[in-house]
Amino acid sequence: MSAAKVKMRGKKMRNQPVSVQYPSSSAQNGGDTPNPAGSFASARAAEVQAMLTAVTKTTGSCHVYGALPKHMRRRSMSHNTKRLPRRLRDVANRMREKSLQAGSKKKKEQPKSKSRKARRRHGNLLLEFNRRQRKNMWLETHIWHAKRFHMVKKWGYCLGDRPTYKCYRACYRAMSSHCLLQDLSYYCCIELQGEEDKLLACLSLLTSKETGPTFAAALSLSGRRQGSVVLYRAGQYPSQPLGPVTFLWRPRMQGTTHRQLWIWAHPTLKKDLLPELQTVCQCCEAVVPPVVPVVIPAGVVLTPEPESEKTPEAQQVTGTKRKHSGIYSTGELPPGTVLGLTVDDPRVTLPTKKVKALPCVKQAQEVDEEKRKELMLQGVPEHCCQSYLWEQSVRDNVTDNKISEQQLNRMKSEVLVPGSRLSPIPLQGRVPILLVHQPGKQVGHEMSSWGAGWDLLLPKGWGMAFWVPLVYRGVRIGGLNMTLKHSQNKGVSHFPHDYPDCPAGVRFQEEQESELLDKFKRRPPAKRTNYIKHGCLAPFRCPWEQLAEEWELITREAESQTTTEADTVMEEKMTSRRDITVTKPQSHVTVLRNRKSLRLLSGWCKPTTSKGQRRCRVGEVPPLDRSAATSFLATHVMSLVWVRLSLLSKGKPEFHAMVCVPTAEDLQLLKKGSSSTGPQEPPHKDHFKSRIKRKKKGNKKTSTPSLLPKTDSNESDLSSTSEPNPTTSKDPKSSSQSTSDLIFGLWPDPLPSVTSHCSRVTLGWVTQGDFSLSAGCGEALGFVSVAGLLNTFVNQPMEHRGTLLLRNPTSLHYRFAKINIEV
Amino acid sequence: MVRVKSRYLLCEVNVPDRSRLLLLDDRAVAAAVREAVARIHGDYGAALCSSGFTVKYLNAHTGIVFLRLPKRSYRLLWSALPFISSIEARGQKVSCFLSCLHVGGTIRTCQKFLIQYNKQQLHRMLPKCKNPEEEQKIRRAILNCSVPGGNMEGLEDEDDDDDEEEEEE
Repeated sequence: MSAAKVKMRGKKMRNQPVSVQYPSSSAQNGGDTPNPAGSFASARAAEVQAMLTAVTKTTGSCHVYGALPKHMRRRSMSHNTKRLPRRLRDVANRMREKSLQAGSKKKKEQPKSKSRKARRRHGNLLLEFNRRQRKNMWLETHIWHAKRFHMVKKWGYCLGDRPTYKCYRACYRAMSSHCLLQDLSYYCCIELQGEEDKLLACLSLLTSKETGPTFAAALSLSGRRQGSVVLYRAGQYPSQPLGPVTFLWRPRMQGTTHRQLWIWAHPTLKKDLLPELQTVCQCCEAVVPPVVPVVIPAGVVLTPEPESEKTPEAQQVTGTKRKHSGIYSTGELPPGTVLGLTVDDPRVTLPTKKVKALPCVKQAQEVDEEKRKELMLQGVPEHCCQSYLWEQSVRDNVTDNKISEQQLNRMKSEVLVPGSRLSPIPLQGRVPILLVHQPGKQVGHEMSSWGAGWDLLLPKGWGMAFWVPLVYRGVRIGGLNMTLKHSQNKGVSHFPHDYPDCPAGVRFQEEQESELLDKFKRRPPAKRTNYIKHGCLAPFRCPWEQLAEEWELITREAESQTTTEADTVMEEKMTSRRDITVTKPQSHVTVLRNRKSLRLLSGWCKPTTSKGQRRCRVGEVPPLDRSAATSFLATHVMSLVWVRLSLLSKGKPEFHAMVCVPTAEDLQLLKKGSSSTGPQEPPHKDHFKSRIKRKKKGNKKTSTPSLLPKTDSNESDLSSTSEPNPTTSKDPKSSSQSTSDLIFGLWPDPLPSVTSHCSRVTLGWVTQGDFSLSAGCGEALGFVSVAGLLNTFVNQPMEHRGTLLLRNPTSLHYRFAKINIEV
Repeated sequence: MVRVKSRYLLCEVNVPDRSRLLLLDDRAVAAAVREAVARIHGDYGAALCSSGFTVKYLNAHTGIVFLRLPKRSYRLLWSALPFISSIEARGQKVSCFLSCLHVGGTIRTCQKFLIQYNKQQLHRMLPKCKNPEEEQKIRRAILNCSVPGGNMEGLEDEDDDDDEEEEEE
């Protein structure tokens, strides 16, 4: 019974007598013998009292009608109290008043009595929306999304996850050859202002040159390019990364060294980033306290991929040359190019019907070769990167002077010829925007510059004004799902899913784990996948630290075995192992981001293209042998590396698939031909099933004693305990205490050895896995332990180096995959 | 659904030694009854006992038990009660026998009967008292039992009640 029901029952039964008996502890012996009669009498008297209260006090119905015997009750008593006998009349009156009062009491919240029309009036609606936005922020395009997307509440924002209509393949086609649009206003923008050298000095603490170009890179410093960098805690490289950010410098102005820097960060990163910036930038003058995204231009960031120039109708470039003529694909532009433009209000030229965006091929002939080359190599000249968007005053002006929809519609209706353009284009309708080029796939050798696009930064308030005209030009809209797929196809790690070493990534993993676990528990036990039988230790969360630690131990053992000092080595090994287990090293797992090391590793992997078939030419790479491996590992302890695995033949990798090392026999199978599909894992035994069953039966036992004997469980491996006696309840209780957290089908914590649990040694796990439409085979992106990988490479023959096995958590079948580390 | 009816049996557990009564437990009594029924009526009786049979109330001081039985089979189960010779409670055997005082359709009737019965018992004990203290105690108990005034009217239909009250005062 639920708690409420228990309470109600208690209230109802409060006058009924409770059994008078002694609990087991206090059994009296001979306390009564001196005066049996007296105590007996008092016991009887007490009993009579109890019975009297039980009989006389009637609970439940209100006593007005209970006091009257049944043959004297009338129906009209309920509305006419004069029909009651006089002694009950005033009581009944009081009851009536109380009930009437309760009904007419006004509710304190928003009254539902407002008609639907009144509730939907504009002012009331706005109030309602503001109230709903308190917990989760709405983007400017929220209402548009809410009508067409499944919304999800994440990171303090309400975002569209996926459209309500089936469009996965259409969105993919739009991403690769047409145009896909997304609203990324939830990214936080932090503005830093100050002297250039001071800013650079402060920011250099947060980055490192080894991971790539930083804030101080010449091209991005000039303001012509956008840069992206991984930030670390001050001075803590290579451990304790915070996450990736993109940044943009304002182009240099004559006469001052005062610069402005915009940093775009993911909302989960903001919490960690702000304190770091504050500590680092103590000395900088005039640092604007990091502006909350509301004030800074909430950019509608756009990622279209037109095959040739952008559809020009939405823009009327003033004062600058038309730049895009002659560029055949945006992939040709140098990555991160910035363009500053001022455009007219796009709502003015809104087409009445939706049109398809067609690439304009006509102007290709009038191309000037030189100009084109210049564009490709050097990007846009500096004065074209300037935009008024950087000025706060201009931004505010533009936001305040925006013509409202109502006014615009009135103007349109007042035009003489209906349907023609509004000829005197209002001067307030000039909007400064920034276009930033986003490079497509940059790493690796295949599918280069897939998924290139543009980011469109707008002033606040102009989101819907640009959104609707763009949609009317035939752009597809994608949600969070598509962002993930975009990163997947590009082969880059997506924040926060693929950053296990950042605090935001760790938080995200925990949330994801709890969600998946809830979903798993909701299913009835007989319908769940039994992960124990599939030999999958962690289907919902990857224990990276345990993996890295185990591989450290294994490599250390391997090293010590090769040296000739046997005894001392054994001792060393023992002590080192003991140290590891006793001290529990504080070192967290880190992801290898050092470019040089990555290039080295990539060369050792023997990168391939298109399903791992054609071998790519790689530059000079030192040969891989044990000493090189050990020296490499010495510099990078407890690290993981981001890899891309493409399956050789069949298979679709799933979330948290295991990456394993093939044995020599498996590689023989591979040699035989493409018909081989890979080895099978023998199913594991589920020892916990018997424990759970016993525990359940023990619970049932303690509640109702039964004379029927218990049936023994099938898996009798661990049932060394005898069948518990029906009358004593000690055995099940003790076992239930030890196995209190067992969930049917999952390994309980702490996990056993992660690497050696299955028949093939585990190297790592997959964080994003799916059938890739761009590659035409299954592709998986994930992390593997560096120590494990090098160990594997050293032991594998040259022709098969880089071949690994992949196994989904719900399957026993291993698939061959080729590893690629892309730099 | 038509009203589900049961029969409530008011029984008294008689023991030679009053102190042994205190060991009793309602589960022990239920187990003893079930076992007796199974012994006398076999599997059929045991099945009848499995659902619909409960011990509703037990007073270890006075040995009063309320048993609830299903209406269809209460006579059968009742017939097995005299065969109970001992009740096993807390690892000890209490030799006793059950005597049924009243059968009622509801607990309330059994409770009403119990009030009357207890009163009669007290009155019967009065002349048997060995010393004045006991007598005092019993008189006080009787006084405690009887409730003044109006409540008694609604309870009983018999006239014995009024007679007894008058007798007391």
